[in-house]
Amino acid sequence: MTWELFAVFLGSSLRLALPLLLAGTGELVSERAGVLNMSIEGMMLTGAFAAAVGAWATGSPLLGLLICIVAVFPVALLQAVLSNTLRANQIVTGIGINILVLGATTLAYREIFGARSREQIPGLPKWSPPLLGDIPIFGEAVFQQVWLLYAGLALIAVTALVLRYTSVGIVVHAAGAEPRAVDKSGVSVSWVRYLGVIFAGFMSALAGAFLSIGDIHTFTEGMTRGAGYLAIAAVIFGKWTVGGTVLACLLFGAATALQFQLPTLGIDVPNALLIMLPYLLALLAVGGLAGRQTAPRALGEPYFRR
Amino acid sequence: MRDPTRSLAEPLLSLRCVTKRFGSLVALANASLDLMPGEVHCILGENGAGKSTLCNLIFGVHTPDEGAMRFHGENYRPAGPSDALTSGIAMVHQHFSLVHDMTVVDNVILGQQRGFVNTRTWAQRLDRLANDYGLALDPYAKIDDLSVGERQRVEIVKCLIRQPRLFLLDEPTAVLLPEEIAALLDVCRRVAESGCAVVLVTHKLAEIKKAADRVTVLRGGRVVARSDHPADEIDALVRAMIQGDLKSLDKSAASALGVVEAGGDQVEKSAPTPQTPRQEAVQIDGLSVIDTQGVTRLDNFTLTIGPGEIVGVAGVEGNGQSELAAALSGMAAPSRGRVFLGNIETTHLSPKDITAAGIGVVPEDRHTVGCVVEMSVAENMFLNRLKDFTSFGFLRRKELVQAARELMRRFDVRAVSAEVAFSALSGGNQQKAVLAREITLPKLLFLLAAQPTRGLDVGAVAAVYGHIRSACQSGAAVLLISSELDELIAVADRIVVLYRGRIMGTCAADPSERERIGGMMAGQAQ
Amino acid sequence: MIGAALNITTSLRGALRPSVTISVAAVVAAALVGLALIFAMNVPVVDAVAAFVDGTIGTPYAIAASINRSIAFALVGIGFVIANRANLVNVGGEGQIAVGGIAATAVALYGHVAGLPAGLSFLIPLVAAAIAGMLWASIAGVLKIKAGTNEVISTLLLSFIAVWLVYWCVQSPELLRKPMTSSATLPESLEIPDSTQLPLLTGDYSFPVHIGLPVTIVIAIVAAIVLSKTAFGLQLRAVGFNPIAASRAGISYSRMVLISLAAAGALGGLAGGFMLLGEQYVLKDGFSSGYGFDGLVAGLLARGSIVGVIAAALLFGFLRSGGINMEMVAGVPTALVMVIQGLIVVTLAGASFFIGRRT
Repeated sequence: MTWELFAVFLGSSLRLALPLLLAGTGELVSERAGVLNMSIEGMMLTGAFAAAVGAWATGSPLLGLLICIVAVFPVALLQAVLSNTLRANQIVTGIGINILVLGATTLAYREIFGARSREQIPGLPKWSPPLLGDIPIFGEAVFQQVWLLYAGLALIAVTALVLRYTSVGIVVHAAGAEPRAVDKSGVSVSWVRYLGVIFAGFMSALAGAFLSIGDIHTFTEGMTRGAGYLAIAAVIFGKWTVGGTVLACLLFGAATALQFQLPTLGIDVPNALLIMLPYLLALLAVGGLAGRQTAPRALGEPYFRR
Repeated sequence: MRDPTRSLAEPLLSLRCVTKRFGSLVALANASLDLMPGEVHCILGENGAGKSTLCNLIFGVHTPDEGAMRFHGENYRPAGPSDALTSGIAMVHQHFSLVHDMTVVDNVILGQQRGFVNTRTWAQRLDRLANDYGLALDPYAKIDDLSVGERQRVEIVKCLIRQPRLFLLDEPTAVLLPEEIAALLDVCRRVAESGCAVVLVTHKLAEIKKAADRVTVLRGGRVVARSDHPADEIDALVRAMIQGDLKSLDKSAASALGVVEAGGDQVEKSAPTPQTPRQEAVQIDGLSVIDTQGVTRLDNFTLTIGPGEIVGVAGVEGNGQSELAAALSGMAAPSRGRVFLGNIETTHLSPKDITAAGIGVVPEDRHTVGCVVEMSVAENMFLNRLKDFTSFGFLRRKELVQAARELMRRFDVRAVSAEVAFSALSGGNQQKAVLAREITLPKLLFLLAAQPTRGLDVGAVAAVYGHIRSACQSGAAVLLISSELDELIAVADRIVVLYRGRIMGTCAADPSERERIGGMMAGQAQ
Repeated sequence: MIGAALNITTSLRGALRPSVTISVAAVVAAALVGLALIFAMNVPVVDAVAAFVDGTIGTPYAIAASINRSIAFALVGIGFVIANRANLVNVGGEGQIAVGGIAATAVALYGHVAGLPAGLSFLIPLVAAAIAGMLWASIAGVLKIKAGTNEVISTLLLSFIAVWLVYWCVQSPELLRKPMTSSATLPESLEIPDSTQLPLLTGDYSFPVHIGLPVTIVIAIVAAIVLSKTAFGLQLRAVGFNPIAASRAGISYSRMVLISLAAAGALGGLAGGFMLLGEQYVLKDGFSSGYGFDGLVAGLLARGSIVGVIAAALLFGFLRSGGINMEMVAGVPTALVMVIQGLIVVTLAGASFFIGRRT
């Protein structure tokens, strides 16, 4: 394996990991606050679709990005209302929303573009950080990425800081571990969880936008292909910490990148197995670790005052 | 002693004719009382009398259906705890709400501040507060690592740091060592002296004697008595609380009220039937339990119990009792040690085999371990014996319900029918049902009862003791785990004391040993 | 026999509880939204509905196809309900169907069963399908018991893996792909021998309902009886409500988790077997697409009742056929059906707040 190929591999891993990183961080916050958000997949797809259509309709990918953030809001709100106010089973809700979004985006896409179309959509421009981008061999392959990637990484870093050093972090932690403590201190558990879900929606929308207008510059039906579930697996693997989740997402991203990398090395592995790899890894990740010991205690349980 | 001029002051909080219903249950009816600043006001009543409801109304957890509350002369209708907190009312609940994997200081900061958090400043504030009121606390300790008494101190500090004007404590002494109780009452006194109104909810007469300036007695959701000189009027208060005389009560049930007459007679305790040679029914040898984090929760527990004998395990909750019960009932695997029931080793048996061997278990957490609240009474009462009602896999439901009805009659389990959901029963009846299930095992050789009377009213308590005694009269060995020392002194034959998972010592269950036992409970080796 | 019939009547009567009304209301509401969407797409609603009806009951063939589909949904739904009694959510129906299909095809083509007598030629592949599904779901069961892994995530991930397994099988000539005679050879398996194909109820290919129908009905009856009348059913419920108390009462949590997920998997695998051996006869990529979720939604809609599963499965079976025809004739994408299903699930999830039941 040459250095050039390795650089390309690193670059693709990062690129393929980013949607997971964003969605994973969003899901992390939501779960830390106590809401198991299975609808991440649907929210990503909403983001991907809205960004694509928005960019195509307005001609500006930036506007597409903004539109997708707005578009995901009702979906996140739906999940939040169902999970918190109506205290519905969070798994059922999530899957229901995913089915709904899959159907709705497919339907809408067909209506707007006709079946089987792969319309070209204006995409987000790339950017390269000043010094890093000039490193020989590695500079271009690894560091020249869509600017959204850097923005996303910055967002994740900020999230980690907020969780660790501010009162928001304390409240979010408490809402998922012991919601009664939050209630008795006068803060509304509902509010915290609503915000957690909406934040997850926001991050997922960005993740989806990256897929459609950052990476591939098109929209295909169901293009998230289970990435949302991989993000959920990453949170479990990462034991509900930002660092762990990031590592898991990078791992899954690298596994996905292998799909394109191994053939260039002349290694002949059936394509299907490579596509399967991230899911297999995710399964091993959630199956092999003491996830049940470290999950926030009140995860998945709606809170109401007795 | 209280300053007589204080009686002229305005009440800080007053309730007028407050009523609260939960469905068809009237938890509080037409209750009126005044709370004065600078006093320790005790709310006295047995379990189920409405004390917690009263507190929850004041703290805004519930809203009254009828009646009104006035705080500082103004109308007071909190919509939730945040309103109560803003008004200057703070409360320490029976069940703590602390975030288990956060530090003490973070738990205190919760809800108090926005934006960036300066942990060090808060820690210093905590230290100062703790010193002022005599509460020892390490701000950087994790809640998981604290004892129950320490956790309560965190709850208290959480309240005091808000400088409340009204400070409520709901049954705070149930989880404390005897010496910690004295410290807590002292804290209450100091807080009251600083001008705050302190409300102490309890069912223990000893605490009333020591700490109360005023007392309001609740029974069946109503205010039935008041006193401005409680120390002098204890008998009248007791009569009001239980609608009867202390002396007329079953001696051991009286222990549930925290007052055991000195020199209480041992007549009720069954003398072990003399058998020669005496075959030990239960032998526990070197039993140790290590939890998932690698901490030794039970260390080298060795005990023998004879048939018909009641051995009590004393100790404040959290000192290994739960692990002991779990190991003996097949719910946790001991890391070391052996348990024998007669000649049969039961150390690593599954719960199914434990039951088959003749070991009945009344778990301390009735709702999590003891029963499935969503299923019917009949189903719960025979869940561990479905085989007896099954032919070719099919359940003979009619027979099951019939047998349940019979059992309910024998054990006075009151419910609309045997087929209602278990959750519809009162706490006392639920406990009686669980007892019924365990005591009527085909050949009960060993009964393990953990905190069997917790949360029950006097009537149910007496019934539970009666059943335990009859089990031991039939020859079963009984291990009674309880954090109520008075209960053990009244019911058990001898007592072993657990502290941090080890046996500190054994002694006879006699009131004269109370101090010695209390010392052992606090870790003083004998 | 009569006893069983009486039991069914009683449960039908009991079925008219508030939860049924909610389910029906959810379906109706979602259907109305569907109609509104059709209108919004500038498709004449009358045409769409006509195409829909034609696709569902227009010809005997259509009816038979709908029934065959309902069989698959019903089996997945019954499996879902069984696992749900133990408070387990099996979302991996599609994956279980997929592995079932692989096993059925592999055994039918290469298992030397074509010559066997007395129906073994199709029974053995069916059993293989059920076993494959059972093993696949058991992976999730074992993970749950050993590592406490959330079965929702594990069954879902397994589902994705299984779908790609099918892809691999039909892409590789070493596996199940039919011999490549040219570069245009489609990635699919050979057609299974006639003797391994399931016999039809009427023997008439214009009404191709296969024997899977009576088998499914029997399975439904057995499941209903086991869940409501046996000690096992009671124990399963206990584990679902409170695994700790159930454990204390002597019920083995691990055993219950494993059995219920294995049962759900077996039924899913069987559904895959029926689809391959009874309808499609050729293993193709994506054959299981959507069936898992349809079965899942049928299970949810049924709110724990087997009768409900049958009703919901029939509904979705016909819905799907209608949807396909709507797309072919009136140009309404089948994604509309997915929207309707999603709306049903979401509505039901929210409605449980008002009727105080577990979903």
